[in-house]
Parts: sequence; structure tokens; C-alpha cells
Amino acid sequence: MTEAATLLTDPLEEVAPPRGRHGAAAWAVWIARRLGLAVLTLWLVSILVFVATAALGDPVRAILGRDYASNPGRVAELEAQLNSDASLVTRYVDWLGDLLTGSLGTSLASGLPVSDLISSSVVNSAVLVFLAAVVMIPLAFAVAMISVHYRRRRPDTVIQTILLAMAGLPEFVIGVLLLALFATTVFQVFPAVTISSPTGHPWDNPEAMVLPTLTLVLWVTPYVSRIIRASLLEVIDSEYVELARLKGIPEKVVMRKHALLNAIVPGIQVIALQLAFLAGGIVVVETLFSYPGVGLQLVDAVRNHDVPVVQALSMIIAGVYVVVNLVADLLSILLTPRARTAISS
Amino acid sequence: MNQPRRNGPGLSRRQLFRYSGLGVAAVAGGNLLTACGGDDGGGGAGGPQSSGGILIHGATGGGSKDTLDPHAPVTNPDIARVSNLYEPLLFWNNNYELEPALAESVESSSDGKTWTVKMRPDVTFHNGKTVTAEDAWFSIQRVADPKAPLSAGGQLSQILDFESSKVVDETTLELALKVPYAILDGLLAEYTLGIIPTDFDIANPVGTGAFTYKSFDPGKTSTFTKYADYWGDPAFVDELQIQDFSDDSAKVNALQAGQIQTVDNLPYNLIETIEGAGGGALVSETGAWVPFTMRVDVAPFSDVRVRQAMRLIVDRQQMIDQTLSGYGSLGNDMYAPFDAAYASDLPQREQDIDQARSLLADAGQEGLQVELFTGDDIGSVAPAAANLFVEQAKEAGVEVKVTKKTPFYDDDYLSYPFAQDFWNTRNYIPQAVVGTFPPEQGGTYNETHWDNEEHRNLVNQAAQELDETKRAELLHDAQEIEYNEGGLIIWGFRQQVDGYAANVQGLEPSKYLPLGSYKFNKVSV
Repeated sequence: MTEAATLLTDPLEEVAPPRGRHGAAAWAVWIARRLGLAVLTLWLVSILVFVATAALGDPVRAILGRDYASNPGRVAELEAQLNSDASLVTRYVDWLGDLLTGSLGTSLASGLPVSDLISSSVVNSAVLVFLAAVVMIPLAFAVAMISVHYRRRRPDTVIQTILLAMAGLPEFVIGVLLLALFATTVFQVFPAVTISSPTGHPWDNPEAMVLPTLTLVLWVTPYVSRIIRASLLEVIDSEYVELARLKGIPEKVVMRKHALLNAIVPGIQVIALQLAFLAGGIVVVETLFSYPGVGLQLVDAVRNHDVPVVQALSMIIAGVYVVVNLVADLLSILLTPRARTAISS
Repeated sequence: MNQPRRNGPGLSRRQLFRYSGLGVAAVAGGNLLTACGGDDGGGGAGGPQSSGGILIHGATGGGSKDTLDPHAPVTNPDIARVSNLYEPLLFWNNNYELEPALAESVESSSDGKTWTVKMRPDVTFHNGKTVTAEDAWFSIQRVADPKAPLSAGGQLSQILDFESSKVVDETTLELALKVPYAILDGLLAEYTLGIIPTDFDIANPVGTGAFTYKSFDPGKTSTFTKYADYWGDPAFVDELQIQDFSDDSAKVNALQAGQIQTVDNLPYNLIETIEGAGGGALVSETGAWVPFTMRVDVAPFSDVRVRQAMRLIVDRQQMIDQTLSGYGSLGNDMYAPFDAAYASDLPQREQDIDQARSLLADAGQEGLQVELFTGDDIGSVAPAAANLFVEQAKEAGVEVKVTKKTPFYDDDYLSYPFAQDFWNTRNYIPQAVVGTFPPEQGGTYNETHWDNEEHRNLVNQAAQELDETKRAELLHDAQEIEYNEGGLIIWGFRQQVDGYAANVQGLEPSKYLPLGSYKFNKVSV
């Protein structure tokens, strides 16, 4: 196993089978426990987000800047809106209550409900991550399988060297290189930024989606691909695959039926981690390509000291992280016979 | 005497050049007094400008609090939008002089207390309605509402006599003032005082500009179409699109990729990138400054010799070269360089370490140690200038400790003994009022706590003096006092640099606002 694979938490460890229960009941307990953990995580995150935004200092002062001294009316207005007289705990409880009832509050900068303000950005980012996933997943598997096919021969070495080198590049370096190559300096085949059409979506002009998507794909594929390759190799070297081979099953079938299926679970885990990572790490890519998603909006909100928007976006990003991980765990269990049996037997 | 300069009859200078096919470069080279010569005016190719097409302007900044309110623009994209949708009664032209716009003339009575505005008769709003004096009065009242004055209305709300001002007829508005005020026309020329119809609705913003409203998505993009019945030079392009950019490199990449045609506030370090890609940089003189501010009421700066020593310590050219990449002009501890009354005859102050040392010795302040407050929210120039000042002060034996405050504009702002601030282009009187008068007399941002009755009387007298020559004399005396005793170190004025793509024509440097004061009707692509 490679060093990367050992970094992953093994989902099987978390699912020690509850003794004495069977079937559906055992499943319900398992799911309830995982959901409980997810809620606990989100609650801790909410405290963190709230304290962090409160620790930034007086938002009213930050918003008004030089006009703070000369505009007492606006100061009072903003203070009322932020309820900044109340204690931190009261404000937190109020905020959490609103959050739980689905109210994200009102933006300080625009005066609009936060949910109206951020809904299109959330959709835009989701589409970008989805596109990146659709390209990245098959690509990562394909590269891993080619690599395994030529394992420890020259093509494998070349592929692994390239992947290793690329895995070390931060997203903005990849983005800037792509921009120079395909948009500004060398060739001018793709747009450099998303020029948003006033009524439509960024994907109304599909060309503008290419470079942001590609940047995300190139950023995460090397990592995912290397882990899938490691899992594949581990399976191929295992005794039961050896046995299958000895029984005269053709190599293609061995690869498809045994190796690939068994490598999918760690694959799902790492893909989920990377997708969750994308949801938070997309900020840089969106800024670079002026893509109107949550990242750009978060930058804008931080710049405007628009506390309610910063809080809402942080919670959404954390929520995506938790949900994606939950789904990945669930899928891993369902796809691993051993774990399935462990829970329900 | 206060009537703005008029264009000559018949063809304007612009039209003349356009029709004669000499191109904009010739206009820039021949007529504009820029320090950088003629090669920075307007687009690449010569020849006549062609009509049609879409101009996409990449605007710096903006965000979810963007607005189309004619009287409350804040960010660069806001200013670009209101400058093309709405128009004030007068324009500040590219040389920062007054020119007629929606008003044919704005003239004062001999006592400076009554001003008569004559409206241009043939101007229509985008909805087809003719602009009347009634609309102008409605707009001024909206801006100068004494209870909640908007950005252009601070001074107006104090001096306007709302009861006695009246609409005389369709095209005549009479503005009565509580006190004589000689530079009212300047206040009426601000881009924040666009004239709107009496039934104005922000959901369907109607103005008189060369472009009409089409769509608006705050923080992202807004679109405008050419107004066919525009009273002035009609726009070349059919559509104007203004796109917000929060990131400088995204903006410049978009320009290089040909997705946008103009950008404001091009970072100095990216000028060569744009020029390398066939585009151009439009360099304009401005009156924007980032001073060091010394409180004249606390030690050690209460001693005028210390203040003078500090002013002599600064190597002004080095400040410009290092903090503005050379894109600036020398300051002489006085502001409002474009004011007709600017005291340009006072000797240029230069670095003089010996004299600084001897002044400090006289004041008993050898080995002076001071703390200099700076912050990123003043602008990126400020921390750079502060750190450079530390080095320059060392030569004179003054130890400066830089303290970076985040945020800088907090409760301590206006009480720092030694700090920095930022200001944009203004004329002398409004700047002096806001920056050197006591707070209760309008000095909202008096960082230096300067309170000099002689100076104040001169400024107040000048504000009421209609004779330009006499006014200039009064202001000269006022400036001389500040030059000799003031608490500001004004080492330079920043130049404005904007970028444009190779196919753009018609841009001229402007001392007022970026990109030829955002007059996109003059630009072709």
C-alpha cells in the first residue's frame, strides 16, 4: 500500500457491529449514529463559525470605515440589525434558532435576505463541482488502470512521475498555467473569465466553463488516481486473484470482476474526500476565473464585512462536507460485503 | 463670470477630429496637457471611429451592495454606471474645468446668494419626457435633504434655502442660498448629482445619459443600450456592459483574452503585460493624495519646527518612484493641485536633512522617536509609504516606529498623533472645509486638529467671493499659511492608470474620473 492510501480512515473501523441486533434494526441504529455524529459535527462547526466571525472585531466599524465617526444614524441602524448589544451567547442562540428554522438572516451589504442572495451562487458552484466530478472520476480510474496494466514498466513510471509532480501543484498555479496557455498568452481558444449574462447562468456560454472545470480536474485527479492504483495493485497481488488466475479466468475478467470492484470502495472514499475538499477549496478557482459561485461570493462578503452572508456560506460549505462524507460512508458499507454482513448479521 | 465655458458653435473639437479622420491619438497629443505626452490617449489604430458593437468594461471592485441610485454610488462600477445613465447640470471636463451639461448656464447674482440655472431646452429622459427645471429641483432636493443628505449633498444641504428657491418656468430654476457661496456651480457638477425625473423609480432607472438601462445584477454585471435621442455626441457602440471584477488578475486576463475592452485602475505592475498584448495603458493626472498627518495640538508636532523638519525629511521623488512605481507627480504639502488658485509659486519643498536636523535641534528634539500609524484600509500605498518614511527619517536621526492598525478607521481615527489618510481630487475650498475646519464647522475629517482662525476666515471669505482673481488671492494666502505651518505632509499625487484593448478608440485621459471620466459614448470598439 502506498503512503497515500494509509492516510484514509477505514470506514470499517467505525462500524463495529452492534451485538445482538439483526437486519433492519441494526441498520437503523447504524444510520442514526452516523446522522447523530454528522449533526454533532455541524453544531461544533456552527460554534466555530460564530465565534470566528465575532472575533473579527466590531463589524459595524469595519463596514463603515472612515464614515463611522460622521454617520451615527447608520451606526445605530447596523447595530440594531446585528443586535450587537446582546451577549455573545444570546446572539449565538438567536442565530442558531434562525438557522434551524431555515432563516439565514439579512445581508448587511445589500439588505436582501441571505437565501435570495446566495441561492444562484450555490447552484453555480454545485454545477462546477459536478462537472469536475463527472470528468474526474472516469479519468482517474482510466489513468489508474492504464498504470496498473503497465505496472512497474516504463509507461507506469512516466504516468506516476507526472501524477506525483502534478499532485504538488496548488490550484492557482494550475489555473494560471492553463490561463496563460489557453486564454491569454500562447493560444486564445477559451475565455479567461466568466462574463455573466444578466439573466442567465454561467453555462449559457459553455466555453467559459472549460478552464475552471479543467483546473479542478487537474487539481484532484492525480491524488485520486494514485490511490485507486494502489488499491488495484493490492487486490491484484492478493491470493484470491492469484487463485482466479490459476483457475484460468482471463486477465480482463479478473481485472473487471475482482480487482476493479474491490478497488471501488477506497476509490469512493477518496473521491468523496476530494469532492468535499472542492466544495471548500473552490474559492481560489472561482476568484481566478471570476466564476460567480460561493467562493466569489464569500470573498465579496468578507470584503464587505457582511457577517450574515459569511456565516451562511461557511455553514453551507461545512454542510456539504459532512453530507458528502456521510454518503461516501454509506456507499462504502453497501459496496463492501464484509461490512454489510457485519452490520446486519 | 461664473458661467461655465461653452463649446463653440457648430462642430465640437471632438467631432471635427472624428470627421477629419485624424484619429484620437492626434487629439490626445495635440490638445491634452498630460505629463505623459500624447501616446497614451485612446486606442491603438488611427482612422475614424466606427459605430456598432458591444463595449464590455471590466470594473474594479463592486459586490452585492452595488447600486443604480444616481445619488449614492460608492464603488468603481457604481460610478461607471451612474456616469453613463445620468448627467448633472454641469460637467467637470477632462481637464477638471466646468462645462455646461443639462444646464446651458449656471449664473450667480452679484451677491453670490441667488443662482439661476438655465436648462438646455431639448434634452429628453430615456422615457421620452423633456427635462425641465422641475426635475432639476426635484433631484437637488433629493440629494440635499437636510435630514439625510446623500453623498453630493453635504455642503448643499447646509447652504440651500429650500423655502426661497423656486422653479421660475420650464427651463429656469432659481436657487436661493442662506449665505453667499461662490462655487455652487462646482457642487452641481458632481457625478453624484445626476438629474432624474420627478417620478423617478429605482426599479426602472431613467436618466438623460447616452445609455439607457437594460439590466442589472449586483456584484456581477449590468447592461445598457445606446440612447438614440441623446442630446450630446451619440454613443458609437450599440450596447455597454459593465462587469464587476473582484480580482485584478482576472480583470487583466479577461482583457488579454479579448473578453472585455476596458478596465479601470490597472495595477502598475500589470501595465507592461497589457502593452505586451497589444493593448494600452491610459495614464491620467489626478489630485489624489495619501498624506502623512501630524496633529498640530500635541507634542512633539505642536512645535512648528518639528513639523517643518518632518516635511524636510521626505524624499518626495523616492516616495513616488517606490510606492507609486513612478506614476505620480510631486506634492508640495498643499492639496487641490487643479484648483485655479493653487499656489504653484511657493518653492518646491525638497529633502534637506541638514536643515531638518538643525530645526529638530532648535526644538530640543534631537533623537526624536515617533510612532506612525498606518493600515491596509487606507490603501496599499499607505503602508509602503510609511515603511519608506522610516528609512528616510533615519538619515535625520529620527526613529519612526510603524504601527499597523486593523482596522485603521476605528475609534482612534482622527486622534492618532502621527498617521496617514487618503483623499481624492477636489478643489481647495471644499477640501479645506472638510479637512482643516473644526468638526462643528464642517471639518468631518480634520486629522491634524488644525484650527487656525486666520486661515478659516480666508477660506470663508473666498467661498463668498465671486471675483475669481480676488478669490485666488485669498486662497493663496490661505495656502501660504498651511504651507508654512500646516500638519500635512503631501509628498505627491497619484496618476490614474487604466487599460484598454487594441481595438478601442476614443479614450482620453481625464483628471476627474478613470477612463476619460467613464464617458463611454466617446469610445468605439
